[in-house]
Amino acid sequence: MFKQLVPILGLLTSVAAMPAALAHGVAVDYRVTSANVEIEATYDSGKPLANAQVVIYAPDAPTQAWLTGTADAEGRFSFTPPANQMGNWQVKVRQAGHGAVLNVPVASNSQDAGLQVAQDSGLHESHAVNPVQRGLMSFAVIGGFVLTAVIFSSKKR
Amino acid sequence: MGIVLCSIALVGCQVLGDSRRSAMGTLQIQANGEDFVRQGFTSKDGWGIDFSHLYVHLEDVTAYQAEPSFSSDSDVPMQVVSEVTLPAETVDLVAGDENSPSVAVGQVAVPAGQYNALSWKMTKAAEAPMKGQAMVLMGQAQKQGQTIDFMLKVDRELAYTCGEFVGDERKGVVLAGKTAELEATFHFDHLFGVRDLPEDDELNRSALGFEPLAALAKGKKLEVDWTTLKTQLSPEHFQALDAAFSDLGHVGEGHCRSDVVTS
Repeated sequence: MFKQLVPILGLLTSVAAMPAALAHGVAVDYRVTSANVEIEATYDSGKPLANAQVVIYAPDAPTQAWLTGTADAEGRFSFTPPANQMGNWQVKVRQAGHGAVLNVPVASNSQDAGLQVAQDSGLHESHAVNPVQRGLMSFAVIGGFVLTAVIFSSKKR
Repeated sequence: MGIVLCSIALVGCQVLGDSRRSAMGTLQIQANGEDFVRQGFTSKDGWGIDFSHLYVHLEDVTAYQAEPSFSSDSDVPMQVVSEVTLPAETVDLVAGDENSPSVAVGQVAVPAGQYNALSWKMTKAAEAPMKGQAMVLMGQAQKQGQTIDFMLKVDRELAYTCGEFVGDERKGVVLAGKTAELEATFHFDHLFGVRDLPEDDELNRSALGFEPLAALAKGKKLEVDWTTLKTQLSPEHFQALDAAFSDLGHVGEGHCRSDVVTS
């Protein structure tokens, strides 16, 4: 699976080391390599968030931790998103009452030459229509087509 | 046949309408003064501080869906996809308890989505108990047998603009038909410092502490407003006080941008 991800990450590497200072006091940078996504968290003073708590959220589950871990003494942490989960990966870094949340857009390079910034994870629509409602709508639409066809066919006769 | 077609169309419209309504959820906005306010604490200079009330008047409390996510440390303006604003409200941050540490500011029906930014203004209230003040801190401070009943009246108006909540749990993700929370957090350790931290900790080095305020007490009572503090504290101490209020607003552990409100 990871081999599938390499070309995608390879493209991202061209824009690696994008700074993303998130808040007063804490700055989080990320860098996408051919192997993974690397995070580095520091205070404004330059001091690393050593052993900071790190929580990773996948694009399709923004309230459930996909991975938890601890940064190293330099405030660094890395993770490898699966190739089939494109979108905004969100990284929360915390230490001693300070913290920040970082968005890491990971996108497919299918037809486009450049990096695609991932869009919203689609909470609005994916949770907007339940299966029963979807079935009723389908029934209404298909039924309309069928009845319209019946009407026209009966007029031709 | 026509009646049948119309009935089917109406059913379809009803289903679509229901689906749009079900794409709504509820967002509760809360304010939190943390354990420092609810349980009391010892300042960096050894004063045990217990609050009886800590009123703050909040106005233009607005939750945003921002894309890309907003960074309060960046000069890039917030790109707002949608926003919702609550009416002004005065809250007492001491009112929270262990089971419900935050106090409610209000709630509102919102389209489902991730509300990843929050802003609010701390402005002068028009009515009691804090008429003319943006924040009132009331309580008792004790050190080495000395007790001071204090009331700090702050009419300094500030606006805080913050990114995503940072804390134990993820906040601001509103699912259809569900309720999510966002929190305006106030960090009073930035004002008084904390005894438990080393003296040279960055927070303690920048905090005012309580000793400079205690020096303004008359007997066992300290009742001062912002103007008095500005004129009677040393310039260095007042600068520390002013900076602490600018840095008071957070979203959990996430810091905020602050601006002086000019009306």
